[in-house]
Amino acid sequence: MGETSTFPRSQAAIAGIGCTEFSKDSGMSTFGLAARAVKAAVADAGLELSDIDGLATFGPGDSVSPNVLAQGLGIPSMSYFVDQYLGGSVSLSIIGSAALAVSAGVADCVVCYRALNGRSEQRMNASGAGAKQPWDVQYKMSTGYIVPAQEMGMAARAHMERYGTTSEDFGRLAILCRTNALDNERAMMRRPMTMDDYLASAWISEPFRMFDCCLETDGAVAVAIVRADRAKDLPHRPVLLQGAAWGGGVNLYNNGTTDLAESPAKPIAKRLYHAAGVGAADIDFAELYDCFTFTLLAQIEGYGFAEDGGVPDMLRDGAFDRAAGTLPVNTHGGLLSEGYLHGFNHVYEAVQQIRGEAQHRQIDRHDLGLVAGQLGYISAYSSALVLAGA
Amino acid sequence: MTDPTIPIADRDSAPYWAALAAGRLEIQQCLDCGHWTWPPRPICSKCHGENLAWRAPQGTGEVHSWVRLHRPVFPSLKDLVPFDIVLVRLDEEDDILIPGRLVSNVQVHQGMRVRAAPRKLTDDVGEILWEAVSA
Repeated sequence: MGETSTFPRSQAAIAGIGCTEFSKDSGMSTFGLAARAVKAAVADAGLELSDIDGLATFGPGDSVSPNVLAQGLGIPSMSYFVDQYLGGSVSLSIIGSAALAVSAGVADCVVCYRALNGRSEQRMNASGAGAKQPWDVQYKMSTGYIVPAQEMGMAARAHMERYGTTSEDFGRLAILCRTNALDNERAMMRRPMTMDDYLASAWISEPFRMFDCCLETDGAVAVAIVRADRAKDLPHRPVLLQGAAWGGGVNLYNNGTTDLAESPAKPIAKRLYHAAGVGAADIDFAELYDCFTFTLLAQIEGYGFAEDGGVPDMLRDGAFDRAAGTLPVNTHGGLLSEGYLHGFNHVYEAVQQIRGEAQHRQIDRHDLGLVAGQLGYISAYSSALVLAGA
Repeated sequence: MTDPTIPIADRDSAPYWAALAAGRLEIQQCLDCGHWTWPPRPICSKCHGENLAWRAPQGTGEVHSWVRLHRPVFPSLKDLVPFDIVLVRLDEEDDILIPGRLVSNVQVHQGMRVRAAPRKLTDDVGEILWEAVSA
């Protein structure tokens, strides 16, 4: 069940994208950030705010809700909304769901957005937890084992134990993302990083150093989704939602899965490729959820772009480099070096690449991109998209 | 503000925490199929029945993975860092991995044998420390 998805392939399209500046302190509320990004996405699509009849967002309670934003934007009546709880693992589920809604005719124009003051207000790697201890959180509190750098560090360590993956391998991933951010005007981190820089960065949760961990960012990104036939008449090359998938993943304490070295992206990858009708070999580029260097590695494996344990050799061969790699990844610098827009900046970049609008970052083969949310540790959810240029 | 390192029990977990506070590790075992379940749940994680009893496992297991914490999340842990948080695979069940702080004089490694050392935190809750078992 589930691996034979009949996703409405390429019936919905991203027609517009918008974003704010990515910064350490936006100086405004997430309401203000969301409004800016949504307005930009609608304008980019050649539409009006009054064309919106659906809004969707996600987050652990720190975005602005669709009902609040709808009032602010003067949308009198929405026919579709989603306010999805949780973090990067569910990020792309709201886009997949919007594609279903638009394909089914429930809504004509759904704008999906994520706004956060991830640095100046609610930081992901601080002890924001504590007031509540839902479900499995209570079992981690006394040890202070509650932030992603620790939980995903466990998986990284298990991978190192099994495959001999090294700190330097993680360092190459950090440097790859940094290199891609250097000429990206949106990116927060535009200073070159050497392996010495990487190795000198402070331990956070060993085997993760500071440079294994993504940024914390204030900002917002929005994407406008309409039916594919309607997108043809709008200004930009339509970016078709060729496939979407939900689920997969493992909970580290779910009393079921025990192997942390195995990529939790594997189950969702199978479903995603089936939904999209393509395989890993067909994908031109990938924007993968790099909350940590290791999760980038585990997604390259899990989505079938490398054999298990094969990423380090391919990294040394430049396989994932933007300029000449066989599969460029995180062409914008990712969460590690562009900004932590909770995965939505990956969608923004993928759309620019597919349209051929990425300027000096533009890759040669850019018609089919895979974009993935957090790969399914901790929450046991994941979400991913295959985007195609029409 | 309450100390965030003190676990907050819920209806499913209260007996688990009370046992730890009393110095015992007890987890749920299914009286129908014999499977052990952790974290505490209202149903067996294998047969999904409700016929669960609190039982004491041997309390031993082996380290599957670990992280060395250098930057503590809570100020109250500042004096302890750096320390290892280990994920321990319980001997009773392959798919039970319980985290906790490692107490050991020797370097942590995968497969390291450890034993649960419950520690009282309040009258109602305790925590597990994992102590290395000398070979």
